Amino acid sequence: MSGFLGDWIGAIPVFAAPYLLATTGLIINERAGVLNLGAEGIMSMGAVASVVATLSGLGLPMAILIGCLAALGMTILFALLTVVLRLEQVLSGLVIFAFGVGLSGVIGDSYANQPIKALGPVFPSLFAGLPRWAQHLLDQDPLTYFAFILPFIVWWVLEKTDLGLRLRSVGENAPASDAAGINVMAMRFGAVLVGGIVLGLAGTHLTLVGSQVWVTGMVSGRGWIAVALVTFARWNTIRAIGAAVLFGAVQAVIPLVLSSGAHVPIYLIQMLPYLATIAVLAASGLGRRRFSAQPEDLARPFLREERR
Amino acid sequence: MSALPYRLVLSPRLAVPRWLTATTLIGGILFGVLCCAILLIAFGVPASDLGNEFVLYVFGNKAGLDQTFTRAISLVLVSMSVALCLRIRFWNIGVEGQLWMGAMGATAISFYHIGPWFLRMPLMILAAIIGGGLWCGIAAIAKLKLRADEVITTLLLNYVAYLLAQDLLYGAWRNPSDSFPVTPTFKPYEQLPNFPGWHLHYGVFIALIVTVFCWWLCRYSRFGLLSKAVAENRTASSALGIPVARITLMTACLAGAVSGLAGFSITAGEEHRLTQFVGNDYIFPSIAIAYLGRANPLGVFVAAVAVAGLYTAGDSLKAFYQLPNTMVVTMEAFLLLTVAAFDVFVRYRITLHKVQPKAVAAPSGERAA
Repeated sequence: MSGFLGDWIGAIPVFAAPYLLATTGLIINERAGVLNLGAEGIMSMGAVASVVATLSGLGLPMAILIGCLAALGMTILFALLTVVLRLEQVLSGLVIFAFGVGLSGVIGDSYANQPIKALGPVFPSLFAGLPRWAQHLLDQDPLTYFAFILPFIVWWVLEKTDLGLRLRSVGENAPASDAAGINVMAMRFGAVLVGGIVLGLAGTHLTLVGSQVWVTGMVSGRGWIAVALVTFARWNTIRAIGAAVLFGAVQAVIPLVLSSGAHVPIYLIQMLPYLATIAVLAASGLGRRRFSAQPEDLARPFLREERR
Repeated sequence: MSALPYRLVLSPRLAVPRWLTATTLIGGILFGVLCCAILLIAFGVPASDLGNEFVLYVFGNKAGLDQTFTRAISLVLVSMSVALCLRIRFWNIGVEGQLWMGAMGATAISFYHIGPWFLRMPLMILAAIIGGGLWCGIAAIAKLKLRADEVITTLLLNYVAYLLAQDLLYGAWRNPSDSFPVTPTFKPYEQLPNFPGWHLHYGVFIALIVTVFCWWLCRYSRFGLLSKAVAENRTASSALGIPVARITLMTACLAGAVSGLAGFSITAGEEHRLTQFVGNDYIFPSIAIAYLGRANPLGVFVAAVAVAGLYTAGDSLKAFYQLPNTMVVTMEAFLLLTVAAFDVFVRYRITLHKVQPKAVAAPSGERAA
């Protein structure tokens, strides 16, 4: 169990956590009927803001907070465009994608490629007796632990509480929810903001735990992969754990293969997550013939005055 | 909500007057330009220099014009690709990947010396068309057969094509004479000629031909008419016997081919070989231009030239004021953001309604009495 396989298993949680956080945040959005294609941009803002905060001498908790706030700012813009102005959601998502990636590059320009102090494991002594791979697997930093707890909380809120019922009803049928007295705009606005904060956490995890440095464009498609993982997880946060672990495993194998010294085509190996995403999307398309879990009113702006 | 004395009501407009569309478009652009100016001033560009940079340098001298028009060629092509797809409500976010595939197709013909010299250029064009068309066609087939969302598949295929190009540049296609990740320079008959004294090359004609062809296609052809129906309502079109799937696939392949031509134009006209920088930063500009040009081929052409000017200005600002590389994309995002947000005035009539104070149980009390 040592060597390659052990290293691989031990590395999975850190690679899976950003996917898991991002997918969870997006599921909150999409269950309320808002398709957020700006995930990549929002994650970039979270990632860069936390690095800027750390390099400015703030502590790690403050860095996480600032990362979330930066993501929140981006998300408010997205919410204004989609929920208030009822702009086409794909278009406003793309605007936020470009704006977030562009602005994060502008902000992070003078902070790029400077290593930062990382968020470390919390209980180094607790798992001391276990084999090395198990230590690596179980001994994580607070953000990673949170990433694996959050899906359960979100699942409980969505499926078992009144708030969750209202949120889901807005996503499934906005006009009916409106007639039933639910404030569709407020519900969607709230869902988008909460989802955005979680996306910000995903970005923060990428820099504070994963890379421990800001490099322009470093989110490199993870936001888009998360959008696809929502479909793969069939809009269920618990299933998202499985999806994220699968993609974490795919991502974790890349640095191991590259550092193993084996003669492999570097660039072709890096295609794996993207190809896996396309494969997974195609596979869920096959399964969706019978039953689709997609919220009925996903990406449909709601305006009471508009005929449907 | 109910705490506020007034309520904002958006009511959809049935008929949109032409002057309103024009005014909001201009208003959106002006507001966007203002935001960009504020952003640039915040980054230390003196306000007095802005006019200089944007008008005089970009359109006022030969070097600026040269750079702008050269850049416009590839921007026109990739944006046309997005616009074609947008007309049938297919989101093509993969122009970069299609461009890379086109560039690799053209380079492959040159690298492996396929065909006699007089057929080399047509073969390169053909290979670029096939490469780009195939890359977008894959996403269309995945959408039609497997219901995989084209937004995600086209986007992810960008990364795949980019990494494939990197693999070739660092492996099989690396120039044997030195160790840089570039292919050997194309033979003279494989290069698009320049206009004498300019960097601008004959790729201009490709952009013009594609624009006119797309304009004809959208406006006068049977295909354009049918695709309009597909855009309005897929289910109804399908019920009327319009081959929705075939039109989607054909549009996607055509759009991919157009992006592939951009790859050909850059490799054969500008770089004269395949380099690492052939297909960078086209995804968002192409979407912004297609939207600003209202997915109309002629509008797209004009918008692409204007955005190319923005890049020229951005390059000179970068050199003078050490602005970050992503500044231009941020500015484009601002522009698209304001134009799209201003659109709300076109689509809806916005009115402020005074909220009626709630009648407090008085009527029911009367009825009881």
